[in-house]
Amino acid sequence: MTVSQRFAVVQPWISLVVRLAMAGILFAAAIPKFADIPQSVRAVRAYRLLPEEIVPFVGTMLPFVEVVLGLLLLIGAFTRTSSIIWLLMMAAFTTGVIWAWANGLSIDCGCFGGGGEVEEGTANYPAHLLERVGFIILGTYLAIWPRSRFSVDARLAPAPVDGVEDADPELESTPNSHDTRK
Amino acid sequence: MAKKNNAPRNDKAAAAKSQAQKSVQRQERRTLMGVLIGVGVAIVVFGGIVFFIVQQSNVPTLDSGDAVAPAGADASGGIVVGTSGVVGEDVPEDAPRVDVYLDFMCPVCGSFEEINGEDLAELREAGEIELWYHPVSILDRFSSGTQYSTRSANAAATVADAAPEAFVDFVDALFANQPEEGGSGLSDEQLEEIAIGAGVPEDVASTLDDGQFTKWVIAGTDQASQDGMAGTPTVMVDGAILSQTEDVAYFQAGALRAYLEAL
Repeated sequence: MTVSQRFAVVQPWISLVVRLAMAGILFAAAIPKFADIPQSVRAVRAYRLLPEEIVPFVGTMLPFVEVVLGLLLLIGAFTRTSSIIWLLMMAAFTTGVIWAWANGLSIDCGCFGGGGEVEEGTANYPAHLLERVGFIILGTYLAIWPRSRFSVDARLAPAPVDGVEDADPELESTPNSHDTRK
Repeated sequence: MAKKNNAPRNDKAAAAKSQAQKSVQRQERRTLMGVLIGVGVAIVVFGGIVFFIVQQSNVPTLDSGDAVAPAGADASGGIVVGTSGVVGEDVPEDAPRVDVYLDFMCPVCGSFEEINGEDLAELREAGEIELWYHPVSILDRFSSGTQYSTRSANAAATVADAAPEAFVDFVDALFANQPEEGGSGLSDEQLEEIAIGAGVPEDVASTLDDGQFTKWVIAGTDQASQDGMAGTPTVMVDGAILSQTEDVAYFQAGALRAYLEAL
């Protein structure tokens, strides 16, 4: 097997892990926000990026959106679209962190609930950005290779193979049978 | 690719046909699932919007009249203490206004009070500053569901309103007895005891758990957030937030006093 064939076998499994990791991250981000919605609003406000008119709305809706996206990723439906939405959200959050850093705002990111009550000078911007980069890598991977095991997408895909479930063995066997015939 | 070469022509046609049918069926199932998931997404998002609207009507604003303010409080959610140490009395004129935002659950606020409490009290007594306290509740999630931040801030507001002469001592006592962050906070009974110990009359102390100013605390916290308070403690001088790195490192003993005296 060449490297690319090997990857074709492993890729849906990696995508599964990435998908579930992203779902877990979203749930971890949403749950504390649900527990304290006003804090979520204050955390959004602390970035001083958005106009006050929409701050409460964004702060309140954020955990709902995170949960919806998390559920979609958990069941593996619309995986590519979901990863693109994830990337857009990450782009917004990363902009926020960079903005806060550049403007010397002393805030916790509020990513996983909380946010705000950081003692000045302790807001760890490089770590936050590194985390963001990791999240962007996950999202990019899944956007490029959204096909994953145990996903709604795979069950419904109009795949040009006979059995849906043996989509992967097919990938593996095609080159093999090709080899034996020659 | 390998398949194409393998199969005879008519088999290929039959396979293609069944493949096409399957493809259509799959497409239909896909569409149905898409609709179902879309409906699910819409329900959650719609639920969020409904929740938002309900939430909005639950968060009063300071000027709405819905939130009853304690005596001595202003439109920014601050409680002023004058030179005599009584809320709302003997407030010096033409002195710089100092606003301190604190959450009774916040350990850093505890250290802030420990380091600067006396200095601020002395400056206040000397009439050199106009001192405003903002008891806010941003750390309710750290008291195991007992909403200690809100309860303690409401207690402070109640004392400011009904026992203004005991407010300063009560605030000090709350920090002296500060519960551990992440624990369950102080109970209503403990708050009552501490209040009595700080000189709050018993008939007032027994009303601390009535939540008379809970809405005011919520509204004041929201106002504080809009005024730029991104965490506690926050210190403002004449409306501008003091930066520890650019203005004064107020966790060093005496630094804040020196800064304020030089104003």
